[in-house]
Order: sequence, then C-alpha cells, then structure tokens
Amino acid sequence: MLIRLRLGRGGADEPLWREYRLPPPLEAGIAAADWRETSVSTVLQYLQRAVDPALAYSLSCRRGLCNVCAMRIDGDVRTACTTAMRDGIEVEPAHDKLHLRDTVVELSLVRKARIAGADDLP
Amino acid sequence: MNHWDVIIIGAGAAGLAAAYHARSTGASVLVVNKSLVGRSGATITSGGGVSLAGTSAIALGLDGDPGDTEEHFLHDTLRAGAFLGQQDLVEAMVRGIGAEIGRLIAAGTKVSVTPRAPGHSSGRGIRIPGPSMQSAMTAAALRAGARFREDFQSTTLLTRDGTVVGVAGLDRRSGQVEALYGRSVVLATGGSTSNWGLRTAPEELSGEGHLMALDAGAELIDMEMLQFLPCCLVAPDMWRGLQFPWILGPQSGVRAWLLNRYGERFMARWDAGKMELATRDVVAAASATEVREGRGSPNGGVYLSWAHLPRDIVDHFPRWSHSFSSDWRWEGFDMTTLVERIRAGHAIEVAPAAHFSLGGVRIDVRGQTGVPGLYACGEVAGGLHGANRLSGNAGAQVLVQGKAAGVHAARFAAGGPSAPPDRADNWDRAAEAIRAPLLRHEGVAPSEVKRRLTTLASGALGPVRDGATLAAARAELRDIVANGVGQMACRQRDGAWNRDWSDALECRAGAAVLEAALIGAEQRTASLGAHRRHDERRDGESSQPPQPLQHGLVRRAGAVLEHRRIPVAFTSLAPA
Repeated sequence: MLIRLRLGRGGADEPLWREYRLPPPLEAGIAAADWRETSVSTVLQYLQRAVDPALAYSLSCRRGLCNVCAMRIDGDVRTACTTAMRDGIEVEPAHDKLHLRDTVVELSLVRKARIAGADDLP
Repeated sequence: MNHWDVIIIGAGAAGLAAAYHARSTGASVLVVNKSLVGRSGATITSGGGVSLAGTSAIALGLDGDPGDTEEHFLHDTLRAGAFLGQQDLVEAMVRGIGAEIGRLIAAGTKVSVTPRAPGHSSGRGIRIPGPSMQSAMTAAALRAGARFREDFQSTTLLTRDGTVVGVAGLDRRSGQVEALYGRSVVLATGGSTSNWGLRTAPEELSGEGHLMALDAGAELIDMEMLQFLPCCLVAPDMWRGLQFPWILGPQSGVRAWLLNRYGERFMARWDAGKMELATRDVVAAASATEVREGRGSPNGGVYLSWAHLPRDIVDHFPRWSHSFSSDWRWEGFDMTTLVERIRAGHAIEVAPAAHFSLGGVRIDVRGQTGVPGLYACGEVAGGLHGANRLSGNAGAQVLVQGKAAGVHAARFAAGGPSAPPDRADNWDRAAEAIRAPLLRHEGVAPSEVKRRLTTLASGALGPVRDGATLAAARAELRDIVANGVGQMACRQRDGAWNRDWSDALECRAGAAVLEAALIGAEQRTASLGAHRRHDERRDGESSQPPQPLQHGLVRRAGAVLEHRRIPVAFTSLAPA
C-alpha cells in the first residue's frame, strides 16, 4: 500500500512529493485487515508516530464536522478523516497560498481578532 | 499586549459564553485555544439538544408543555444523576438557561423545538445543531470584542502568592514556550475522554484543564463518573465511535436486538421490560459485562441486529426521522454499505464509547474553584450531572456555567490591584517542565506513552469496573508515570508543529486524569449510575447495604493525589 504526500516544512520550502510504502496494518499496530478500512488521517497519524516524527497534520473530530483536516486528496479538497485510504492515494496541502507546514494550512476563522505569538508582539 | 483582565482557556460553547459575558462587563478578554477556534472541541460534535423547562420555552415564545415546570426539570435531572448531582449547580442551570437561549434567538440563531427528549418526563428543550451553536457563539464573542490565541497548548497555571495570574503553554505554530498574564483565568477545556480508546470525543479532549486545576490547588469531584454511549461502531477503523447504530436502533425506539456471541438477548438479564430500550447507562453496562465475561464479539463488542424485522422497514427511517437523510449521509460519512449489511440481515458489532466526563473540576454556582482567580465551566467542571447525564443537559450546562464563570472572573479582575500581573512565582519551573520532553535526547516516544494510557483507561475504566483490575491499573499507571511520562523525549528537535511535543504535554494531563479516576473508582465500591462495579453485581442486585451518598474529591498533596469524601447536600430534593 502506497501513499504519496506533497510536503513542505514552511518558509521558502516548496512542498515536494514523497512516497511512503505502508506495512500491513496489523504490523503497523492498526486494528484493521486492510488499510482501505482506515482513513487518510489514520495513515498520517501512523506515519508521524512510526516513520517521520516531523510530519505535521491537523485532526480533531474524526467525523467530518470540524473540517480542520481539510486537504487536497486526489485533486479535491476533502476532510482526511472521512476519506478512505486507497493504494497510490495523493495528498497535498488544501491551498498552497495558505500553506503552513506539510498538510497544515491556515484555516483560522478568527484571524482578524487573533493575537500572534511572542515573536510578533510589538 | 500580553496581559488581560480575563483569560479563557478553551473555545467551545462554554469558553465562548464566558468570553462574551466577561467582555460585556468591559473586561479585556483573551480566549486561548489548543487548536483552531470553531474547528475543534466537542461543541461542534454535539447533537445540539439544549434542555429547557416547558414554562421557560413558553416564556420565550416557543412551543412548550405548560405543565413542565422548572421544578420538574430539576427533579428529572437529579433522579437521572442518581442524586449525586450538586443540587445548587442543577438549580442554577434550570433557572438560568432560558435567558441564554433567549439571547441566542435574539442574535438570530435558528432553534427547533424538541418533540421528544429521551429520559426527560416531558418533551423538553430545543435543538441547535453543534456546528450552528459553535458559529453562533464564536460570532457573539467576536462581536463583543474578545481576542484570540490559537494553536496555543495551555499546560500550567501561573500563580503569585497563591492567586492565579495567567497561564503558561506552548505555541504550537512557533514552538515558543510563553506566559500569558491575566487577572483571572477561566478553564473551559472540555472533558478528558480522548484518553479512552473507543470514544465519541474529538482528539484534543485530553484533560490539560484538569491537570492545571489540580496543580494550582483546586479539587476534582467524582472523577470516576464517565458517561458511555452504547452501541457505537467498533469497526471498520474509520467508523470507530460513530453512534449511527444506536440512533438507527434503540435511540429511535426501533426494536433492534442486542445479542452476545451465543445469540442471547442479554438485556433480559438487566431490564426484562424495556430490554434494548433501557437507559443508556444500563445498555452500556450490560454490553460491557458481556465482553468482560467472555461473551463478546471478535472486535470487543456485542451484536446489534435488525434481522428479525421486515427487511424493508429500515428503508422508511429517513421518512419519519430527521436524524437520517435518504442517501444515508451521517455526519461526514456515507453509511450506505452499513445499511445494506443491516438490510441483508447481518449483525453489526457495537460497543460503548466514552462520551462525556461527568466528573471534573469542583466549582460553585459562580464558577469559582476555591483558588483565587481561577474559574471553570462546561465539561471540564464536574458535579452537575452527578452519576449520569440527561440528553440536552450539557448544552444547558455550557451556556449557564459559561456565563457565571465569565461574569465572576471579570468581577474578580475588576476588584484586583491596579497594576496588571506581569510575573509569577512558578514561571521558571513551568517553562522548564514544558521544555523537558523537547530537550531530552534519549527516552520514550510520547505516542508510546499515549498508547499505554489509552490501553489502561479502556481496560480498567470502562462502563464496568472491579477492584482487582483497578488496583492493577494503579500499579501500571505508577510504572507509566515513572518510566513513561517522566522519560518522554521528542524525536523531532524543531519545536514548531511538533506532534511529539504536543503528545507529550497531553500525556502529562492524561496520566493525572486517569490517576484521579482510578482513585475515585477504587474508593466507590458500590455501583452508582454510570459507575458500575462488576465485583459487586449479583444478577442485577447489589450485594452491599446501601451507603450514604458521598462525593469523592481529589486534590494534589505534593507528588501524590489525595482522596476524601463529603456528603451530598440535598438542598432541593432528597432521594425518596
């Protein structure tokens, strides 16, 4: 089972395609007979935990309600938590202009009222 | 600006209600949220019920049962909670919710009237779907002029001379460890159910609010009390925790059958009259008992079956239940293949999922925790629901308690010294502890600690508990704390967007929450509501004489957690 991710670590770093070949789910500690029973979010969580600790992704409700895990999957923006894994699936940031890191993009609903971090304080 | 009158931690409905009301008194308000505001937290996932007495509904110009008084609502809530609910908190909810719903309606929020509210003696309350509730509350806090800090993981309350003066945490975007100063702080971080394996809750409900309260000297109340939703899906992996079978079956009054691996309708041993239509806590306990006693299904659940019903009956559900659409979309999923399996006569594997933290930070009706400057509201706060929660009462809780905590936190801020707080006694220690997993080079991966904590919670703190398992779990937790939590090392050195680091901080909270729950569960040797002791049950009858009703309180005493009991105060209604 193969997943292709277009990842960028931020700054001037242009997101680049990388390929990850997954072991059978039971070997990966996932209680499923087949990766196709799992969501893209579960695969990303596995990859961060077991393969690439630097991998950034967002996840909250796991049932398609909060939309924080919106990504471009096989060309369309969808929630990763409700999209079933398939062999050769392609995952990119939802929007390059809003890209923050890896699959994470700026999805804030309160940007105008937001206080940024210490580095940005006057 | 880095000091505020009121800092609110958490941006679900409770935190945003607190923000709106604190800001409305003129206080400067910062809402701090671990993830994105409006894209995280349990409010969005709520079915949207908000309980309200019929007379209160009529006063708002809504349809309501004129015979359904506030007193009826109060008594239903206390009885459902097995009389463990703090009666003054229940009374505040019952009396205060009308005004808050009125405010939502005046702001243009659409509400529908609930025709039949499960567990209530009357059709009681209104419905605002979770996403609508979230956006209405976000808009109100924005309009009032609250400011926001997102992707900030709060971990430690800052104190000075015993008063809370802010919060320390990790900016997950920048990787900076920071102090935010406020004259008062409101905890609205939600429950702690993401520490359980099968759950309905979103990822971030790991219990940082509970840990912060403990460390600042506040008490937790009845932490062993956890609500489970029965009949949630256990497989496939992507659908784990979905309540769809429960809604398609017993919740809708549909006579689906619960079966164990031998095909027995085991509910007959628990409630021969109502069978599968028994209350949620009974169905959850019965299902978990089958699994524990070796009669479960392969994936650790039991079977729910519609096979005795005419095959086409399920086709008509979308016509009479607004819970379903004709294309079987359910939340973000297409459930057609599951419905096809049901129509073909297959049984569906289901199990109880951790749903709601009934216990939590001990508060009074003003949201005060007993620690100067520290308030709490919503699911992080305990004691309101007692040993079980009626549907829609969390919706009422968050709005009423959010208001109380916001108003009183703002008052506390206004009454303090004129100079804003800008330093704390414990900042250096707090920052060092937050950075420890990032700076440690050799150690345990945080996700491994997380896995151990989840396994422990699922095994020992499910719907049925017993003394031997609880004692073994406490020993296991001591080992996890010593060799896991205390030895966590991030495998990624860059602090920004560092999952390992976030996981590590969540594990610290999870360990504390589970320790408090284990202690509470060990000490409560008799079954009560959602807390079912397997080592006490004898064919549904208690083998022990009834004990006086007591709250279990946990507080930190140095490195250990200390448990004590206080009697429940029956100020409104005593058990019959």
